[in-house]
Amino acid sequence: MKIQSYIILFVLSLSAASCQKYLDVEPRASISDEQTIFDKASAQTALNGVYSQLASGGYYSTTFQSIGYLSGDNIQWTGSQSQVQELINHNVSTGNATISGAWTAIYYTISRANHIIDKVPGVQDASFADADKNKILGEAYFIRALSYFDLARTWGAAPIITKPTNSPADNVGIGRRPVAEVYAQALNDLNAAEPLLTETTDRYRATRKTVWALKARFYLYQKDWAKAEEYATKLIGDNNYALVKPYSAFFANNVRGTQESVFEIFYSANELNNHRNQWQPQTNGGTRQWAPNDAFVALVNKPDSGGNRNVLVAQDNQGRWYGNLYYRTPAADPSFVIRIAELYLIRAEARAQLGSANDLIGARADLNAVRDRAGLAATTSTTQAALLLSIEQERRIEFALEPHRWFDLVRTGRAQAVLKIADPNKLLLPVPQEQIQIDPSLLPNNPGY
Amino acid sequence: MVRVCFAMPALLIIQPKIKMQQRYFNIIESSQREPWSGSSRFIKHTLQIILALIVFIPLWAGAQNQPPLINSKLNGQILDSKTREPLPGASVQIKGTTHQVVTDADGKFTFTTGQKFPYTLIITYIGYEKHEIDATGENISISLKALTNELNEVMVVAYGTQEKRNLIGSVTKAKLDDVKALPGGSFESQLQGKVAGLQISTNTGVPGETINVRLRGATSINGNNNPLYVIDGVFIENGSLQTYSTGGKATSPIADINPNDIESISVLKDAEATVLYGVRGANGAIIVTTKRGKFNQKPKVDLNISQGWSKAAKLWELATGPEHAELVNENFINTGGDPTKVPFQPATTTFPTGRGNPQDQQTYDRLGQVFRTARLQNYDVSVSGGNNGSRYYLGAGYNKQESILRPIDFDRASFKANFDQKLSDKVTIGTSNSFSRTFRNEGRAGDGPAGGILQAALHTPTYLSPYNDQGVLVGRAGFDNVQLLLDNYDVNSTSLRYIGNVYGEWDILPNLKFRSSFSADYNNYDESEYWNTFLLSGSPSGLATSSLGRRSSLINEQTLTYRKKINDKHSFGILIGNTLQSTVYSRTFAQGTGFANNSYKLISSAAVTTGSESWSKRNLASFFAKVDYNFAGKYLFDASVRADGSSAFGDNKKWGYFPGVGAAWNIKEEDFLKDAGFLTDLKLRTSYGITGSQAGASDFASLGLWASGASYQGNPGTAPQQLSNPDLHWERTSQFNVGVDVAFFNNRLGVEFNYYRKYTSDGIIFSPLAATQGFSGVSTNNFEISNKGFELAITSTNIKTKDFTWTTSLNVSRNINKIEKLERPIRFGSRDLILQQEGSPLYSFWVYKELGVDPQTGNVIYEDYNGDGKITADDRQILGSIWPKYYGGLTTNLTYKAFDLGALLSFSYGNKIYNHNRFFGEAGGARDAARVIFASNVDRWQQPGDITDTPRPDGINNNNYKDGGGRWLENGSFLRLRSLTLGYTLPKTLTQKVGIQNLRVYAIGANLFTVTKYTGLDPESSASSAQNEQGIDLGTPPQPRSFQIGVNVTF
Repeated sequence: MKIQSYIILFVLSLSAASCQKYLDVEPRASISDEQTIFDKASAQTALNGVYSQLASGGYYSTTFQSIGYLSGDNIQWTGSQSQVQELINHNVSTGNATISGAWTAIYYTISRANHIIDKVPGVQDASFADADKNKILGEAYFIRALSYFDLARTWGAAPIITKPTNSPADNVGIGRRPVAEVYAQALNDLNAAEPLLTETTDRYRATRKTVWALKARFYLYQKDWAKAEEYATKLIGDNNYALVKPYSAFFANNVRGTQESVFEIFYSANELNNHRNQWQPQTNGGTRQWAPNDAFVALVNKPDSGGNRNVLVAQDNQGRWYGNLYYRTPAADPSFVIRIAELYLIRAEARAQLGSANDLIGARADLNAVRDRAGLAATTSTTQAALLLSIEQERRIEFALEPHRWFDLVRTGRAQAVLKIADPNKLLLPVPQEQIQIDPSLLPNNPGY
Repeated sequence: MVRVCFAMPALLIIQPKIKMQQRYFNIIESSQREPWSGSSRFIKHTLQIILALIVFIPLWAGAQNQPPLINSKLNGQILDSKTREPLPGASVQIKGTTHQVVTDADGKFTFTTGQKFPYTLIITYIGYEKHEIDATGENISISLKALTNELNEVMVVAYGTQEKRNLIGSVTKAKLDDVKALPGGSFESQLQGKVAGLQISTNTGVPGETINVRLRGATSINGNNNPLYVIDGVFIENGSLQTYSTGGKATSPIADINPNDIESISVLKDAEATVLYGVRGANGAIIVTTKRGKFNQKPKVDLNISQGWSKAAKLWELATGPEHAELVNENFINTGGDPTKVPFQPATTTFPTGRGNPQDQQTYDRLGQVFRTARLQNYDVSVSGGNNGSRYYLGAGYNKQESILRPIDFDRASFKANFDQKLSDKVTIGTSNSFSRTFRNEGRAGDGPAGGILQAALHTPTYLSPYNDQGVLVGRAGFDNVQLLLDNYDVNSTSLRYIGNVYGEWDILPNLKFRSSFSADYNNYDESEYWNTFLLSGSPSGLATSSLGRRSSLINEQTLTYRKKINDKHSFGILIGNTLQSTVYSRTFAQGTGFANNSYKLISSAAVTTGSESWSKRNLASFFAKVDYNFAGKYLFDASVRADGSSAFGDNKKWGYFPGVGAAWNIKEEDFLKDAGFLTDLKLRTSYGITGSQAGASDFASLGLWASGASYQGNPGTAPQQLSNPDLHWERTSQFNVGVDVAFFNNRLGVEFNYYRKYTSDGIIFSPLAATQGFSGVSTNNFEISNKGFELAITSTNIKTKDFTWTTSLNVSRNINKIEKLERPIRFGSRDLILQQEGSPLYSFWVYKELGVDPQTGNVIYEDYNGDGKITADDRQILGSIWPKYYGGLTTNLTYKAFDLGALLSFSYGNKIYNHNRFFGEAGGARDAARVIFASNVDRWQQPGDITDTPRPDGINNNNYKDGGGRWLENGSFLRLRSLTLGYTLPKTLTQKVGIQNLRVYAIGANLFTVTKYTGLDPESSASSAQNEQGIDLGTPPQPRSFQIGVNVTF
């Protein structure tokens, strides 16, 4: 039966002729990774992708921020996940989900920035002017600098990644570099960004002024007081920035991008900042997993220490206190990365450390500028030591719900005394266990873990 | 690919012979010019095949046409030997030829043939013995004897049917008759305890939710381990389309199917049985055949109505307000608090203020508010019948089940229409259609605070008043207020489901049959929720969302079967076929927040609205073939192969090949056993084959992608999404099976035993990448799992007299599951309670081993597993899994005259369950106002010398109340009376007077008792529907105890 075999073959061949095509199904929400950054528009969208990662839940929306204040002494935890309590107890396990989430989000941010830094210089597009290229590159360098700075102050030694990942073999197994090198990488990136960016004011994206502000903080951490003072002064002297009055004016009533703000991250109904969910009580659609503790509630409500900063806390319908810096519906609260108040307090501290009589007067003036805005009388501290303590106390309240307290106490060497931490090894957080399992070159972990 | 595409030259060879060729290619070309959507490509491909067949088959058939030659004419009638009733639809064939006719409604037939008398007729009719008779020209009347031999039972297998005596594979036929009235919602749950090797765990008390179904273990970590479901030839999607969180639970798409429309269920277990399902066969298959009419049958109307009630058999016991307060104070002091500052003391002006003395605390009952006696209703009506050339079945059903947990309910209306029509004695066309609408009032019964009904009722401390100081109802402890929840809950879903196909069958030659079918499984899943401002989810200004999920699966399939018998000894068959399947899932989601007040509920009324969309698609192209050979009914062999190409696989590995072979020896047919009268059947079977799974790979898992959606400041953003893996391919499962079937005493006692070994390699897993790489991982083929075990099924007719019969069937199974290779352990579930690691079974519990409570200190003593002198997370160890050592069921049925009594027991032995409710409820006061305390925690250690297994309160996650503590891991073994049925059939003499053929009234009790040591409510409970998080019992309503009465009427 000759014809029978023809039929079979024919049916098979018809199906086969286009089976290859039939089995190629492309997604509609994604594109192939072979053509990603190739002109001005695609470079710009890729840069937005870097900001988007910086704004993600793991980094400046919630998780990384929480390390900064949960590890301090202002916040208690009311939820059921004990891993949060580990931060408050200063006994963080290597399996802790918060540190793992933050570590991952920061490296993702670096990875996305690396795509820009690697690919944008080589883009062949006549309409892509050098000025535009420089701006995009400069912003990417700034975000990478901030990422390495955050890695260094949280974990110390960390891997330094400067190339994008194109295959599963890239950027793994390269080990951690000493903390000094990580800070040096941050400084290199700041130095690279500075000339590429223009001296304009943009509170949601990096400019040359944003670079200066981060440099001021960087030198404060490095105890390079003169440079910290120098860079802080560049911002304080700029009349685009000012301490807005009263304290609540920089966040209450759904404002954003006030003169207070040097760098804040933009959120909207479509780009949510879920940070509020941790703070707001259930009746406001939150979980109130993190709440101001009794000590802080007392401190911020005391007229001579909190002043008008008592707006940071409020009470729900059961009389429970909650933090109220992040409160908007929909959740479009900005994340404040650098405020002008911080630059005042950086300069106050730098001047206090420099220690000459003139410096101490300057330090008092800067501190009083912040106190005045909070509705407080001028400081009574006059000596260097007293001033430094006053500045520390001021920072505790001023930045209670922002990621500063832990890092401040660690950099000034006061963490063990203030937070009653016996083991100095606990001042650095552990590299996440799950990352070590994937990449054993991250070993050894920080001492004590 | 290569294998198939070589056939292209054949197309070139035959092209000149085709006159319609030009027109055909025009159609294809014009289609390519159009911007066709994905489904049109599917249609295009199937059109190609159909066109080819239309073009060619007439040529072929034409070659067969011969002018008929009439030599003789014969009239006859076929009757039942006992009842003398005519048998319509019996097949009458002239021996040695292919010529056959079918009897009409009166059992009559007429043979007009070219054969000359005398010749021999062979009469076959399902359920009757084959009969041969010589025809000499006289009108003949033939009596057929009804079969009592179960070996002639017709079993549904992949792409066909087989008599049980000819089975090689491991296949079990299940009937729902005695259990289909059981509440639960889906037919799967009714199968529990009925089939050896089929392990069903009803992990929820909410009707219509996904339950855990495993056939011979589990082969994948992330891929769906459910068996493949095929209903009337349609591959059914069985993944839930639910997108809203109900605390880890998911609705079951299988619950869209009305069990009453099901005729029989065939469970295919070994590789011989499933290899024709290739890349979807690794977890076995469940083949459902729905009811059809019969040719030449008068219309028959069946009516089934039942009503019932269900209730929780028991509820949790909670500490009273004073007990709670005392424990909190004790914990406060034990953890270093100042005894003068305990939380429960008279209110003072100090900050924070005291909450009153323990003994003054009130106790508020919330469980009583949410649990109820639930109503069950079921109505089914069907009409079936047929004439000479057509048959039909029409069914309609309505099933409403309230959950015992307010306000959840399940409401299914279904419609079924099956129809077959013979166009000629060679061509039959037909269709199967089921349409259903399943409406659910949803409620969060599992984990999670906001909107969590059961958590709010169970986990809120009993001392907390539902009112605040101003007398306003408020939620407590982070949960919603129970009363406000019940008054305002407004979450629901509607599933519209169509499952159907149309087919044509053509007997090209008497032994050669061609079949083509188009099938569709379409599911429209519409979810909506509105949370007003009284509820946490709706705070502060209301929240409404709407999600519309659509999944459509289109299937086209051709098979060509050839069967030939040569001189009574040799019988063989060939099957070839192909399938194209295209499945598209898309979802549109919209959300609104900011409502003017609680009267506005639609998203369009909201101040802020957002929306999103998703889309995904997978195509599967397959070819398959099978040959079988049967020598004298003694020696049976077959071999099958399927090739599956899937769009989900990487470019280098698009096509997988799945071969299988089987052999069986009917020893009973050998001469030396022919005379062994006591032995009815003795058969040895064995098989080996390779099947696969593609479920672990998401639709686009092999591609390297950048995603958009990473916007900033409202400007679009792009970012790396995943790295490519061009080598990504199917999970490969090899399976060996050996089985024996024995039956004695004319089938009064039957035993079936199977032993199997399954080994899965190339398991698809998302291999994690380092964070420094910027990706969370990449899909790879990189784990191995084995399953081995046995199944024993015994059926017995213990007593059979005229008035009294008693039958029992027992099945016991054992499956040993082991992860043979896994690079890194993976943790699942709350507190990492479940660990998948190499060398242990899947779903193993990872906890601290507790050695008891030290009577001197009240502290828990843990086993220092790694011996480093400290108790750290490294001391957690695997202490059991959700796998039972043995599981099965016992069915027994008694009939006495018009009464029938049936019972179904199911059991599970050796499995573990983690009582996560206790973990929270026995925190020793450390969770203070945030969680309830269970009554079991009151009996804690208080002073030296106390002998107790509940330690001294010492805070959360310190020594005594650790995350992952082993004392909450409990023995989950149980023996459960799943159903007890009593029925009475009214005398026919009585009912026939009013035109009723049959009338039976019955009562069913479900879950009347459960024997277990588990201290929770239900040893089958699981908070999550996710397959890797089974066995963690938290906030789940138990399977209720229920009672139903009903009536079956046949007109």
